[in-house]
Amino acid sequence: MASIEFLILLLVASSLIAYLLTKVNSFLGSVFTIFASMFVFVSLAAYGFNATLVTDVLYLPGFTFGYTYLGAFFAIIVAFVYAMVSFFHPYFVDHYKYKNAYNMLFLLSLAGVLGAFFTDNFLQLFFFFELIVWSTMFLIPLGKSKSAAVTYFGYSAAGSFAMLFGIFVMRAQVGSFDMALGLSSLTGTNAIIVYVSFLIAAFAKLGVFPLHLWLPIAHGNAPHPFSPVLSGALVKLGAFVAVLALIRITPASGLITAINLPFAHYVVAILGAMSIVFGTLMAIREDDAKKLLAYSSMSHGGYIIVAFSLLDSVAYAGGFYHILAHALASAGAFMAIAAVARQTGTTKMSELGGIIHKMPITYIVYLVAIISMAGIPPMGGFISKWLIFQAVIDKGLIFIAVAVFFGSIGSFLYVFRPLAALFLGQELPQFKKTVKEAPILMLIPMVIITLLNIYTGVLPDKLFGFINKIIGELGFAPIVTSTFELHGYNGILNPALIAGIFGFGVVIAFIIFISLKKSKQVSLMETYTAANFIHTEELLHYSLDFYAPLERLYAKYINVMTDFFAALANKVKELGRLGKYLFMSKYVEVAIFWIVAITAFLLWGEIL
Amino acid sequence: MKSTKFTPARKLSKEEIDRKWWEIGDYFRRNSLWMLMYCTGCCAIELPPAMTSAYDMERLGMGPMATPRQADILLISGYLSVKSLRRVIYTYEQMSEPKYVVGLGSCPINGGIYHDSHAVINQLDQYIPVDTYVSGCMPNTESVMNGFVDLMEQIKNKTAKGWIKYKENNEWYKSNQMAALGEVIIHDEFHE
Amino acid sequence: MIVNILIGFGIAILGFVLQTSVAGVNRKIIGRLQKRYGPKWYQEFLDIFKLLSKRSISHGWIFDFGVIMALGGIIATAMFMPITNTFVAFAGYDNFFIFVYLLAVGMLGMAMSASGSGNPLASIGVMRALTTMLAYEVPFMIVVLTVIKLSGTSSMIGIGEFQQALGTNWFLIALPLGGIVAVISLMGMLGKKPFETYIAPAEIASGPMVEYGGKQLGMLFIMHEITVFIEVSLFVHIFLGGASNIFIFLIKYFVVYTVVNLISNVNGRFKIDQVVKFYYKWPLIMAVTQAIIAIYFGWVI
Repeated sequence: MASIEFLILLLVASSLIAYLLTKVNSFLGSVFTIFASMFVFVSLAAYGFNATLVTDVLYLPGFTFGYTYLGAFFAIIVAFVYAMVSFFHPYFVDHYKYKNAYNMLFLLSLAGVLGAFFTDNFLQLFFFFELIVWSTMFLIPLGKSKSAAVTYFGYSAAGSFAMLFGIFVMRAQVGSFDMALGLSSLTGTNAIIVYVSFLIAAFAKLGVFPLHLWLPIAHGNAPHPFSPVLSGALVKLGAFVAVLALIRITPASGLITAINLPFAHYVVAILGAMSIVFGTLMAIREDDAKKLLAYSSMSHGGYIIVAFSLLDSVAYAGGFYHILAHALASAGAFMAIAAVARQTGTTKMSELGGIIHKMPITYIVYLVAIISMAGIPPMGGFISKWLIFQAVIDKGLIFIAVAVFFGSIGSFLYVFRPLAALFLGQELPQFKKTVKEAPILMLIPMVIITLLNIYTGVLPDKLFGFINKIIGELGFAPIVTSTFELHGYNGILNPALIAGIFGFGVVIAFIIFISLKKSKQVSLMETYTAANFIHTEELLHYSLDFYAPLERLYAKYINVMTDFFAALANKVKELGRLGKYLFMSKYVEVAIFWIVAITAFLLWGEIL
Repeated sequence: MKSTKFTPARKLSKEEIDRKWWEIGDYFRRNSLWMLMYCTGCCAIELPPAMTSAYDMERLGMGPMATPRQADILLISGYLSVKSLRRVIYTYEQMSEPKYVVGLGSCPINGGIYHDSHAVINQLDQYIPVDTYVSGCMPNTESVMNGFVDLMEQIKNKTAKGWIKYKENNEWYKSNQMAALGEVIIHDEFHE
Repeated sequence: MIVNILIGFGIAILGFVLQTSVAGVNRKIIGRLQKRYGPKWYQEFLDIFKLLSKRSISHGWIFDFGVIMALGGIIATAMFMPITNTFVAFAGYDNFFIFVYLLAVGMLGMAMSASGSGNPLASIGVMRALTTMLAYEVPFMIVVLTVIKLSGTSSMIGIGEFQQALGTNWFLIALPLGGIVAVISLMGMLGKKPFETYIAPAEIASGPMVEYGGKQLGMLFIMHEITVFIEVSLFVHIFLGGASNIFIFLIKYFVVYTVVNLISNVNGRFKIDQVVKFYYKWPLIMAVTQAIIAIYFGWVI
């Protein structure tokens, strides 16, 4: 019998033990981290699926935990990503300056995650949120740059304090911090205030337009084994808050009858759609592979927001499945890039090429991950996108449909770029001798994630059973599924059939291929060059400015949001200078002005 | 009296089966020849009337293709300087098998009007195997079309074996190329 | 289930034979238009079988694997396509989105294999092909969104039967702006001039196909023919009312392909940024206007 409190205390204790062990021997400390996180994940999955987790609190004073299907869903996904990424630690921890703290902060943030998803009291939710933000804030600067942590903390703090404000407004009206009852009984302007402040928190954590600027900075500069956790797991906290805000609160706003959606939810959907489009456009022009995947996380965050703002159970099922599929795909892609970065030392695509010939298994992991990210059958991303399409078409939302289709097709472009520029193409001479395949302990989690990507695309039935329970808990009708089929509003999907026929087609093509004459194997440098004789590989590798003709069309507008936030920061500094002039000045006349003003104010009622 | 014992049909030997497949392949190859658009010398001016509506190469099944890997015919249209010959040999070796070479004009036969130049080769057949020649300086477009039909006849009669000759007599061709050119593939970027 | 798979495979082969013959006949028509005799009507078959009989080169396992994945994906897509209202392999599962995204698997396989050949011209060609796909898909999907909302189903047979019902016009006539956008998007999908930028034989030496010869090129040609079959059949089912027997389907298919071919033969070729700018101006405006008119005001002819 596992209890949530036991798991959290175990994690806090093992973070201290990991700190001490890493001080002694970093390999031992990392192996201990692997064991701790795998133990937590296995017990969560085994007891969490069947709803048999114990929620009693024996040792921690004042904390209460509650089990909800929603919280269990998120916690299992996040714990799984943490457990898989911990396999990378033995190979990476030695590179960092404060390596003892790395394992400790990793396990501490996992403790915070468990507490955040299983609590039933809003103030505790805020406490665990801040625990996560503080422990990860000290992990990020171990990578490339220190100012990335400042940006990350700034946006997270803005979100957390907005949520705290919303919590207190809710308490003022309802009278308690309880999660299950509190939100549904809000009325009037309080509902709108709490709705807006929770959404600010959700947008800041999820990285959705307009609060997205920290995503490329934090993900691009974080240490290589931590980026999969940031993108695959921690942004799901924002999705959790978004679900609470969008589904549980009913703000009083007018209903747009043409599409049967309240105005407040439509505005949120528009913001999500803009996030999809801008994330796609910014990802297309990015040269660093990790920043590209960070912008892709922004785009997928937009999909999640659009899915949850539609007030429709098919859309909710699509949104939940998208959270699962995106977590797996993003973790897989980031882990493949981390493996490449360990061997070659860089993640910039213009400096790499032809890695597939030395690291074929990493290539296959990355390929399956991006097939799922782009929403192509037979992987999991296609099912979630199909459900979101069904909901959007059924409601007749045209402009959101433009953005959703644009994001879906545009994602082919930016996920293909690392494939062609980094893995394929000419083999650069500086990597021919030194690059080898990733070690076996790093290959195991990548292969597991690949197999799960395929499983979520072919047999989604059990997962939809669990998701239907979540939708029922939120108060909507469950979607219709059977063993192999999914029913949308205007069509039926059979993912196993698609995967089976795809396999059949590949077998036919393979039979045609091997029954014909065998090809002669030649090297990559013997290629068509209009009969020019070539001697350098770098000149024949197309990787820099891959989509240059498309980028030129919008190159003038890429700095709009950064300029806006920089101008906002300048205005805040000017306000501070004004305050300093008025209240902390060294000039005599300002002091005399204040003396006269305060005296006049005190004598107002008596003399005048 | 004819015997009434049942005699099964004679089983075909391996060479006969290969030969039958090869005949089927030859039917497809001669009716769908693709030429590489590689115009070396002055005889190339005869190709536009052959390709377009005047003499219409497409009704024979022929058409132009962009790269040597996709093409069947290498058309040497005119004289070949020493520099060009290096690139022609490189291109010929990049083509997929089976491949054919057609020499247009008098220059591949014996040097033509440039026969006494120091930078032009005289007999193309010493360096790469040629299947069909079309003589003239320059030949009429009807002669060019006739040359293509001749090549198709040669493929039908299995006498267009230039590529097999190249594979079997490779040392002879290579020694000729070395004697004339010095090196076929230039060894760095600063030489021609 | 086995019977369904065999019917599906039969549909794929039928599509290949149909499209190759129609393409050959079109070459003859274009030849006659240019005052010359064209090739034989079965010339495309000869081209493909000649390619399959040549011996070519290969640049590694990804080069071959990509081609196999491309052809396999396209055969799988063709197996779902219905021909008439009753001649279909997997009834009820012929959703519009399955076709659009399974085509993407085929294109991904070909793109992987082309980039794996090591030639920069192949990567440039793939970049242009993906950018063209971004350009033509969005207006087309908006028009199909309108069609799905009006007919209430996204199954090909369902949309076809909706148009064959008494009193409803074909969607090409009922949604005129949408029909024009669909024809323009179809030309982009088939890769016909003026949207032939991704092959561009004179500029990037036939783009992705630069290093292929022999059996890989033959398999890619087969893949291209089946892709054209799928796309023209999509257009026939969604905008021309499907077919209740196979002769009507063949006639509609032939007319659509010939009209598109004739239009494309008098055009030059766009540059790649002109393609994107073209599709995101008038076709997108017309598609959105048509969607607003049809869904919210209900003005359908």
